Amino acid sequence: MATLPDYAAAKDAFSFWPRHNVAIAERLESKDAWLDRRRGHAPKEAAGDALEHQMTLNIGPQHPATHGVLRCLVKLDGEWIDKAVLDIGYLHRGIEKLAESKTYQEFMPYTDRMDYLAPYANNVAWCMAVEKLAAIAVPERAQWIRMIMCELARISSHMLWLGVSLMDAGAVSVFLWTFQGREDLYSIFDEISGARFTVSHSRVGGLATDLSPRAVSMIRDFSRRYKDVIQGWRKLLNRNRIWIERNRNVGVVSGDEALNLGLTGPNLRGSGVPFDIRAFEPYLKYDEVDFVIPLRDEGDCLARYHIRMEEMLESLKIIDQCLERLPAGPIRSGDAKAAYPSKSEVYYSMEGMIHDFMYTETGVVPPKGAAAYHAIESPKGELGFYLESDGTGSPWRARINAPSFTNLQGLESMMEGHPVADIVVLIGSIDPVMGEADK
Amino acid sequence: MALQFHFTPADTPRGDEENPHAKASTEVGDTIAALREAFGGAVLNEVVYAGEHTVYVKAERILDVCRHLKNVLGFTYLVDLGGVDRFTEEERFEVYYNLVNVDRRQRIRLKVRVEEGAATVPSLTSVFKAADWNERECFDMLGITFEGHEDLRRMYMPEDFAYYPQRKEFPLLGIPGSLPLPPQTPDGQLTMDPFAAAHGHKPVRSYEEPRQSE
Repeated sequence: MATLPDYAAAKDAFSFWPRHNVAIAERLESKDAWLDRRRGHAPKEAAGDALEHQMTLNIGPQHPATHGVLRCLVKLDGEWIDKAVLDIGYLHRGIEKLAESKTYQEFMPYTDRMDYLAPYANNVAWCMAVEKLAAIAVPERAQWIRMIMCELARISSHMLWLGVSLMDAGAVSVFLWTFQGREDLYSIFDEISGARFTVSHSRVGGLATDLSPRAVSMIRDFSRRYKDVIQGWRKLLNRNRIWIERNRNVGVVSGDEALNLGLTGPNLRGSGVPFDIRAFEPYLKYDEVDFVIPLRDEGDCLARYHIRMEEMLESLKIIDQCLERLPAGPIRSGDAKAAYPSKSEVYYSMEGMIHDFMYTETGVVPPKGAAAYHAIESPKGELGFYLESDGTGSPWRARINAPSFTNLQGLESMMEGHPVADIVVLIGSIDPVMGEADK
Repeated sequence: MALQFHFTPADTPRGDEENPHAKASTEVGDTIAALREAFGGAVLNEVVYAGEHTVYVKAERILDVCRHLKNVLGFTYLVDLGGVDRFTEEERFEVYYNLVNVDRRQRIRLKVRVEEGAATVPSLTSVFKAADWNERECFDMLGITFEGHEDLRRMYMPEDFAYYPQRKEFPLLGIPGSLPLPPQTPDGQLTMDPFAAAHGHKPVRSYEEPRQSE
């Protein structure tokens, strides 16, 4: 292994990670900026006016406008960004490594901490990946409930995105309104799972608990009220001159470019690529409900805004249909090798207790050598888990295809050629969550 | 409440044939046939599980295969790229590629295997820009290098870190001293082991800081 640097000597310059800072700075210098090529000359050297100077600016990792611990190093020519280098990993916890030492069920709560704005969608994504790997069938009712909750998670995530990106652009009131909406959603999650934020409600093979009648009426009430509320926000923003001017023609990505950069979710559909996992490879019951996938061709921040707003309304439509068609029945697989037994069985039967113990101890055991990839359309885009089994109760390899990570990759080139003030708008419009991007 | 678990169900092998989550998009027999026709011996065996085809490709031809998939067969979207450490096996490292054809609704998985001593795979960055960060992550976590990648820095860990944490031999608690963190007191030493207690050391407490007045 390579030798470690001399930290004691480097203490004056950087108290830690000296090589890392040097490497980023070098990268920024060496970066082949398309802007230079397009201009046909190198940027102007320093002259009289301070604003025409070249400047290297470090934004983050601790900065309110970077939505988490995202670090941007930008090289400015006056007020314009010439080159940008993103540095992520400040929230890296190594959860792919952690998964290798947990049973499949044990790892599920960790997924809450990935995209913490839509924890339910992550739970479902993980559980479905495990179910595909181990070929576990899930009861109908559980699938419909999962769908409702995934769509609520989408609304919750998009609400936060809306409030925060508007606050970045200078409007505070929408932030307060969307948080009112998120508060209502938290109450629903609280009623269903007992936790407001990190719900951990989905289980391999089904769900932890059924919906209470109160939860159903809360969801119905939310869906009824928020159609108008979201339309009200659209009425305020769709023709708001400041909001449009800040977003139109900012961060334009063509469809081919978006595919090449690997953008996903609303960012990809904002560039006119009709790719949504709910339609591409329908999971749960998405092939049985009626909904529209919003699509725009412009590829700028405004298109991404419109897409997310329309998605929220479509989600409400999906939730209504799910509530209407919610069948009666069990919420967890009855196979003791596939899912936890219910608590009443654990407490009143010996078999139930043994199964509960065995499931906690070993849990699902997919065959040796099995490998499967399952993706869902999370609010941020395609969230997929690639799992490999070695025939034991914990995965040999759990690879997370995180949408925020892929989207941030595109942000780097998207920022180049824009003024500094657009950085916050662009970050907001890409909608990254560092918990997910950093794994 | 009726009891459901009266007996332990027989442990039948859980099959690939009738996977309830198998998707139509992963049926890519025609694509694999086209690849075999174009590349012959470079396309090795294929494995099917849960309706998903995994095609093994010779590592040195992966760039050509992916270019062909993109330009001729319409797989224009690189969704995911990642490495697997097979430890103790021959050809220890594996890199897998997840490609999507948006128009024809298809998803294919390619895999290459390399030896530990020569863990180098051609980089896909010249074909898919999306491969950039994924390859960096793979390098950072497993130490697989990508030939032709212009900017193969570490993705998550700082450059000062000297190990590849996702390799199976890397301990879950980390290696003390490998990743310095800020001091816990203004004038204190760097924190060299965040899990000091687990390694049997007593962590420095802030109240142990020597006071100027004393």
